[in-house]
Amino acid sequence: MNTCDRAEALRDYAFDELAGDELRSLEQHLATCAHCAADLDRLRLTTAALRVLPDREIPQRIAFVSDKVFRPSPIARFFGSFWNSAARLGFASALVLAVALIVSAYHRPAPVQVVSRSEGVSMAEVQHTVAEAVARVRAEDANFTKAALADAERKHEKENRELMVAVRENLEVMQKRLGVYSELASNEIPRNGMGQ
Amino acid sequence: MIFRAVEDTDLITRVRQGDVEAFNLLVSRWEKRVFNYLLRLTGDPDDSLDLSQDVFLKAYQNIRKLDDAARFGPWLFRIAHNEAYSHFRKRRPEGGTEDASFLERTPAPGVAPELAIAVAGALGRLTPEQREAVVLKIYQGFRFEEMALILECPVSTVKSRLYTALDLMKTELAPTNTRGIR
Repeated sequence: MNTCDRAEALRDYAFDELAGDELRSLEQHLATCAHCAADLDRLRLTTAALRVLPDREIPQRIAFVSDKVFRPSPIARFFGSFWNSAARLGFASALVLAVALIVSAYHRPAPVQVVSRSEGVSMAEVQHTVAEAVARVRAEDANFTKAALADAERKHEKENRELMVAVRENLEVMQKRLGVYSELASNEIPRNGMGQ
Repeated sequence: MIFRAVEDTDLITRVRQGDVEAFNLLVSRWEKRVFNYLLRLTGDPDDSLDLSQDVFLKAYQNIRKLDDAARFGPWLFRIAHNEAYSHFRKRRPEGGTEDASFLERTPAPGVAPELAIAVAGALGRLTPEQREAVVLKIYQGFRFEEMALILECPVSTVKSRLYTALDLMKTELAPTNTRGIR
């Protein structure tokens, strides 16, 4: 067994996997290390022995037949190619974003212009406007209160009427009951008298 | 007019556009290599042919997923590797081949049959992973980075499998010290 510390590099060298400085360094090493040179010979003998088994010919050629039934449609190929191509997918995304930006720019509402009217307005006009607004609000309040009071009075009267009707009905019921009781009492007195 | 050889990348571009004949040309370039790779893994010519057809069918169906057309070879052998191991799982749960005799075949002209038998025996005694590393490197000539892509493992693992296999086979196939060193 080769105990030289260049054993792995030697194997890489045998399979042409070394390049540059490593290659030159190992070639110099091989000229001086008999162990590595012998190991390289054995490795080459082994690989040469392995190559005595040649490749076989394939017993049957493989071929595919184009059939329209199985062929993807041009549209399917077009869309299929998007999902397998990062560049096309990126381009499509950028295109969609650009269209969205353009549409958004056309449909965005115009900015509202705020006009300052503080200049050129006198204090009297302001007070007059405020007084008008206050009077309007007070008038609205008075109307509202008046309507609310009228409504409350109507409700109150209605409740009173209903109450009076109920009292009258109760009174009538009581009078009827009283009549019945008095009749019963007048009938019982003579009977008691006869028993004595 | 400039004449140049049609590269695999040209064919792949045409295949992606739906050209089946371009794919057939691609198949004709790679079918022998794929078949022999699978034959050295499975040991069965019929299975290897069936698997080869499956490999190329999957390659056709998925060729749009191939990111770098220049890496078609490792990508194709990655599919072949997956197909082979899927086949092993169906046939033998432990995977790989057990019998070394499948590797014995007619040696190259001028080579002693005894050597061919010795080589087949040495290959047959390797683990499936070691044998696959030997097949990809010695018979298919892939570089370590490409083998790592095919086997989906680090380059260090690929090297370890290959060099361990070669150390084992060296004692059988090259027992003498050519320069008298012990």
